[in-house]
Amino acid sequence: MSSQPSSALPEAHWRPTGALSRALVIAAIAVAVALLAGDPSLVVVAVPFVLLSTLGLVHRPSGTPRLVSQVDHQSLHEGQGTTSRLTVEGAEDAEWLTRASGQPPYVVMRPSSGYVGALLPGPVPDIEVSPRRWGRRMLGEEKVALFTPWGGYRFGPVQLGGQLVRVLPQTAPYDSRAEAPQPLGLVGAHRSRRGGSGTELAGILPFAPGDRLRRINWRVSLRTDTLHVVSTRAEEDTGVLIVVDALADHGASDGIDGSASSLDLAVRAGAAIAEHHIRAGDRMALRVIGRGGEQVGYGAGRRHLRRLQSTLASVRPGEIRDADDGVLQLRVTGGTVVIVLTPMLAESVGTVAATLTRRGVPTIVVDTLPADARPGVPNGTDLLLAGLAWRMRLVERATVLGRLAGLGCPVVPWRGPGTVDDVLRRLSRRAQLPRVVSR
Amino acid sequence: MTRRLGDLSTSQIVLRALIIVGPVVAVLATGPAGHWPPWWMVAAVLALASGFAALPESPVGVVTFLVVLAWWLLALDDGLHTSVLVVAAALVVTHIAAQLASYGPAAMPVDAALTRVWVQRGIVVLLAVPVVWGLARLLRGDPDQPGIWVIGVAATLAATVAAGIVLTTGPAPVERR
Repeated sequence: MSSQPSSALPEAHWRPTGALSRALVIAAIAVAVALLAGDPSLVVVAVPFVLLSTLGLVHRPSGTPRLVSQVDHQSLHEGQGTTSRLTVEGAEDAEWLTRASGQPPYVVMRPSSGYVGALLPGPVPDIEVSPRRWGRRMLGEEKVALFTPWGGYRFGPVQLGGQLVRVLPQTAPYDSRAEAPQPLGLVGAHRSRRGGSGTELAGILPFAPGDRLRRINWRVSLRTDTLHVVSTRAEEDTGVLIVVDALADHGASDGIDGSASSLDLAVRAGAAIAEHHIRAGDRMALRVIGRGGEQVGYGAGRRHLRRLQSTLASVRPGEIRDADDGVLQLRVTGGTVVIVLTPMLAESVGTVAATLTRRGVPTIVVDTLPADARPGVPNGTDLLLAGLAWRMRLVERATVLGRLAGLGCPVVPWRGPGTVDDVLRRLSRRAQLPRVVSR
Repeated sequence: MTRRLGDLSTSQIVLRALIIVGPVVAVLATGPAGHWPPWWMVAAVLALASGFAALPESPVGVVTFLVVLAWWLLALDDGLHTSVLVVAAALVVTHIAAQLASYGPAAMPVDAALTRVWVQRGIVVLLAVPVVWGLARLLRGDPDQPGIWVIGVAATLAATVAAGIVLTTGPAPVERR
């Protein structure tokens, strides 16, 4: 998949180098003074510079090179790599090419400095780039310079714009066998509470009009002298709503190779859960609580998974502009499992989780606050005071999490793929029991 | 492109060391001829050379070279001492080191193939120095012929152009794919 190439600006042109100017000035002054003063020693010193400047001038370039840079991919997963290529046309006058790539954050390169050069004519060296964190990353931005033989003239450095590459969160698929608590759909992999044409045995019941003949259990029918049929439970898909708390990003992020911030954990967890459920045939939706307020409606299939990953990759932390008194409406329908990915440091998110649990919606809170998260404070802030405030905030958070657990909303820290397995199993078992919910 | 020393690649540090050492050696070369430079002159050249090493594409290099040439002119009556060969070599090495350093950012390692090319070029241009020096020594003491200087400079330029044409005519360029 190739991306749109970027080419050199039209106003770029050849200019004399500092070395040529230096050689010319030294040669001219030394020869002139030698003539005036009648001192041949200055001619001796000037001779190499006369040669260097003349040879530099002899190779005066005539054409205008055309530079086109291109990145091989438009979309990558974090940790994957691509190649930044440069095409040079009309550079017959050039002897040397220098590529100096920019150093965007969360992007590593090979060579690590991002600088390469090569003698021309010859293959133009490539630069390998690899984004280390999800998001939108500018790759392939670089400066390119060409030099003539004897270093007399230089073209550039020309700034070549890079390409905005969408970096999707790392995928960590897992094979969960946990059932959805309240499947309510058409066809899927989860056992439903209602009877249907599934494979899981529900019981053996007396024959009733409408029962399929192939389901008659002859052994029981002969023993009881009345027709009995095998009843099974329907298998349905379920809806899963992922809620990502992007009100703030807590903790340091070092990309895929280092420590993860709360938003890193939330985005990667969201991507992993989405991939698993899409593969299982479930309907997935996404709601981001944050500045962008991104939403993706229910859907299934690989294209929908791609849409979910792209939306997750574009999440930016920030407060909601028009927060409605801290209460968020998620418009959750029946048969949906809600997975809230949050560091639980905002009251509104806790309220949402509690409200959903009270309504009887299976809700799981995945705690994404890193263990080593520290508050980011502006310069001049009393660190002792900030530390005290942070500890108080953590105490409040622990209280909220405890209350949610008391309401029956499981709270689990994200420990990679499979984190929600056990919780979903328990929720599924609990869903079989009769319960009273508030509406 | 001013950078901290830690940002420089090893090859760039070597080049910049050569840029600093070259002009200082050129000034000190008057010593064996009987005119050791005063400490302030060495200090001034060292300071200028350091600035040149930090900014190899800047006009500081021209100033540094002119100071060296001025000292050479003022210090010695007989400029055709063998030390002039050292001065020419030191200044050419400094110039080429600055040229190589300015091919890319300071953190960019210097390419070995490019260095080889410039070493060969340096040797080629330095070959002319002993020839001209020997010629000047031979003609020393002879009465000045009218127009001898002009003819000499013109001959040098013609030789340079001829050398340029010869050096430019290389093998056919390899077709790029």
